[in-house]
Amino acid sequence: MGLEIIVGIKWVPNTTSVNIDPKTGTLIREGIPSVVNPHDLTAVEMALRLKDRYGGRVTAISMAPPSAIAGLEHVIGMGVDRGILASDRVFAGADTLATSYVLAKVIEKIGDYDLIIMGHETIDSSTAHIGAQVASWLKLPYIYYAKEIDYNEKEKSIMVKRILENAFEIYKIKLPAVVSIAMHTYEPRRIKISNKLRAKMENLIQVWTSKDLDIDVNCAGLRGSPTVVSAIDFVPKVPRKNEIFNEKDPRKAAKWLIQKLIEEGLLDP
Amino acid sequence: MSTKVEEKKIQRIEDILNNDVWDVDYEPHIKVDYNKCRECKWKPCIRLCPAECYTLVGDEVLFSYEGCLECGTCRVVCPENAVEWSYPKSGRGIHYRFS
Amino acid sequence: MSVINQRFDAIVIGAGPAGSTAAYQLAKMGYKTLLLERGRTPGSKNMFGGRVYLQPLKDIYDDFEKKAPIHRWVKKERISFIDNENSTTIEYESTKTTSFTTYLTQLSGWMANQAVNQGAILLTEIRVDKLYRENNVFKGVVVEDEVVNADVVIDAEGINRLLLEEANLVEKLKPNQVALGVKEVIKLDSNLINQLFGLDNNDGLSWVFIGNLTNGIPGGAFLYTNRDSISLGIVLMLEEAIRKLDKHIYKLVEEFRIHPLINKYLKEGRIMEYSTHLIPEDINSLKPRKLYYDGLLIVGDAAGLLLNQGYTYRGVDFAAYSGYLAAKAYDYAHNNGGPTSDNLSKYEELLRNSFIYRMLNKFSGVTELMKKERLFNTYPALINELASRLMHIDYDSYKIMEAFKEVKKGRISWLTLIKDLWEVSRKI
Ligand SMILES: Cc1cc2nc3c(=O)[nH]c(=O)nc-3n(C[C@H](O)[C@H](O)[C@H](O)COP(=O)(O)OP(=O)(O)OC[C@H]3O[C@@H](n4cnc5c(N)ncnc54)[C@H](O)[C@@H]3O)c2cc1C
Ligand SMILES: Cc1cc2nc3c(=O)[nH]c(=O)nc-3n(C[C@H](O)[C@H](O)[C@H](O)COP(=O)(O)OP(=O)(O)OC[C@H]3O[C@@H](n4cnc5c(N)ncnc54)[C@H](O)[C@@H]3O)c2cc1C
Ligand code: SF4
Ligand code: SF4
Repeated sequence: MGLEIIVGIKWVPNTTSVNIDPKTGTLIREGIPSVVNPHDLTAVEMALRLKDRYGGRVTAISMAPPSAIAGLEHVIGMGVDRGILASDRVFAGADTLATSYVLAKVIEKIGDYDLIIMGHETIDSSTAHIGAQVASWLKLPYIYYAKEIDYNEKEKSIMVKRILENAFEIYKIKLPAVVSIAMHTYEPRRIKISNKLRAKMENLIQVWTSKDLDIDVNCAGLRGSPTVVSAIDFVPKVPRKNEIFNEKDPRKAAKWLIQKLIEEGLLDP
Repeated sequence: MSTKVEEKKIQRIEDILNNDVWDVDYEPHIKVDYNKCRECKWKPCIRLCPAECYTLVGDEVLFSYEGCLECGTCRVVCPENAVEWSYPKSGRGIHYRFS
Repeated sequence: MSVINQRFDAIVIGAGPAGSTAAYQLAKMGYKTLLLERGRTPGSKNMFGGRVYLQPLKDIYDDFEKKAPIHRWVKKERISFIDNENSTTIEYESTKTTSFTTYLTQLSGWMANQAVNQGAILLTEIRVDKLYRENNVFKGVVVEDEVVNADVVIDAEGINRLLLEEANLVEKLKPNQVALGVKEVIKLDSNLINQLFGLDNNDGLSWVFIGNLTNGIPGGAFLYTNRDSISLGIVLMLEEAIRKLDKHIYKLVEEFRIHPLINKYLKEGRIMEYSTHLIPEDINSLKPRKLYYDGLLIVGDAAGLLLNQGYTYRGVDFAAYSGYLAAKAYDYAHNNGGPTSDNLSKYEELLRNSFIYRMLNKFSGVTELMKKERLFNTYPALINELASRLMHIDYDSYKIMEAFKEVKKGRISWLTLIKDLWEVSRKI
């Protein structure tokens, strides 16, 4: 039996390297390659560990342009069983509401699922909305910042340990449910050549358009997006001090550092 | 910030490297045996690693793999065999686009 | 270790020009071909100077000129001799062209896609860890804890060749065998490039610099015009660099960029990318004892098949063509009883009868020559002073020989000069 798991992955520009054109002040997007949102790889790893323990199947879904097939192949390379890409011009320009609507439709169409796993947030928009919104669309329970998941097959429920600033909470939740995984919970596993080969040779990725999805086009893409970005402002540059203390003895160096932090009012003496 | 080149002065290596794209791996693909570095007289890696992954802190060598451009120079120039060298896995590391 | 139950006729390691071309040709001949690349996309780990020679690629790929990512056709060649204050530039212009500029990232990616179009399977993000061998016959590759089998393995892993080293087919690279190239790509409007360098629309410039840009270390500098950017960089022979380089190598590239001779061209630019790679230098010692084994062929930089023409390289077309010949050799072996070392020695024969070995023999000794200090220290200064005497006229003019005698004085003897000239003209 095992678990039918769906995991959401977003195809994002590698923002470690988004530069600003010094002349125009705009983002330089030329040639910035996309990657699977790193926190979603953590979610994929969680899904795969659950599959390793309890059996079942992992399906990755993404709403993105066709280039995201490379991202689905990446997670299939890690061990995901199949990928579904929701891709259509009418999905473009979506805010989180419209994105979650389409993802919920994809999940509805998949139909057979026990657990939906999302990442903590994305590196390019970082709203952390999608998990909650997908759960609302599907009227499912939602829990976020999950660190550990144990499955009880008899009860069809999971025990979720979620992390707070200085405490853990443990919940028992009936499936199906939506869970977002706290960032850095796991390192994603390595890509296996057998899995990559499967991705290329066994047709494991399907592309679904709005027609496949029974979608109200007024709820998708730009049209379905009530959010308006009124302006973008740059974070003012914080002036920084810079002092170098050359000291071999770590004790003395630490003392000096603590003294400095106290002087700056950043530490209580 | 991207590096404007009209200024007729040498940019900092950090600013130049800032124009490159990496998907940094979570474990280093290169490991350096610092014990051997202490015996190393010339320390050619410091000047020859194009990404300045090797720096001197006091007189200790410090290596950080994140900005590595995977050229292999440090492996070849190290006289002490201190560099355990390989390429990153799973497509990680530098991602050239215009070279 | 688990063995994957897919079997291939050929596995090609590395989607650089050598590997992608081998895979293209193999797939085209109908062989079930697997092309493995450690980078996220083919091309994402590739870097070079900037200019590729056309003819060999035209022989391999249909409609190459129309379809390949060509930036500009090189119609202008410049060589500059630089010392501290002065430079003398020789320019050659032609309406005919035999080479073009591009990004190797793009060209490698394009070649890999041609292979895919022919039916090869390309897997990216796969770092091969080992060549797989049974009873001294190469039978496939190892990735993590899995083995993939093939009739033949084509090693196109490039200059660092960790796999060949692990298999004991070559020794670890030594500093005297390689050079280090470091380059910046600088964005410039294409019209501005045309204006600045006096070029027509798709015409390009290749510019080589000899002299004191390299901190007294054998090597040189280069500049190529791309469609809307400029590639500029430094090449240093590594062995000499270890001993002589007295600052960080990136500073040499930066000093080159802000050198008055070229900074005037770059006013509007911004750095798009900074990249680096090793270059095969001492081909004689780099070439593995053999390029064919039972079940294995070695191509491209890994095989040391690169032509150093003295400050410019022919690596891409050599690599691609060696990949092409390796595919042909496998085809021969396949039709004659299988890829034994004997049958695959066809590869050596094909190389011998091709321009690759012809050129390598013709240019052998260039690296030795390039290491001669006079070539990048004494002569550039000498040429500059000569030019300045001939051109900087107040009252008296110099006759050429008279000027020459004067600048030569105390620097170098006639005998050395004639010997050097003889060597240069023979080897380059
Ligand atoms: C105000 C505003 C305006 C926007 N306008 C546009 C626009 O015009 N054009 C445009 O392209 N984008 C636009 N976006 C971005 C886009 O709406 C969001 O990127 C997208 O809705 C996901 O939100 P997020 O990135 O914050 O995800 P989060 O909510 O931070 O993501 C949480 C998790 O949800 C899952 N997830 C998120 N997105 C996807 C996805 N696409 N497929 C599968 N799983 C996913 C992942 O598991 C992820 O870890 C806008 C965003 C905002 C906030
Ligand atoms: C600074 C510089 C300037 C140059 N200038 C020129 C020039 O102007 N013109 C010219 O023609 N040539 C030039 N060359 C030479 C040319 O770039 C090379 O000769 C050519 O790229 C060699 O091709 P290759 O396919 O053999 O190797 P590479 O291009 O190095 O390709 C090797 C490929 O194998 C992959 N790989 C390596 N190991 C593994 C593994 N274990 N598993 C999977 N994949 C792996 C790599 O990621 C890479 O994609 C220059 C080189 C340099 C460094
Ligand atoms: S060259 Fe090798 S031994 Fe010397 S400092 Fe660098 S890494 Fe250490
Ligand atoms: S491989 Fe090259 S870039 Fe990476 S650390 Fe070594 S010298 Fe530096």
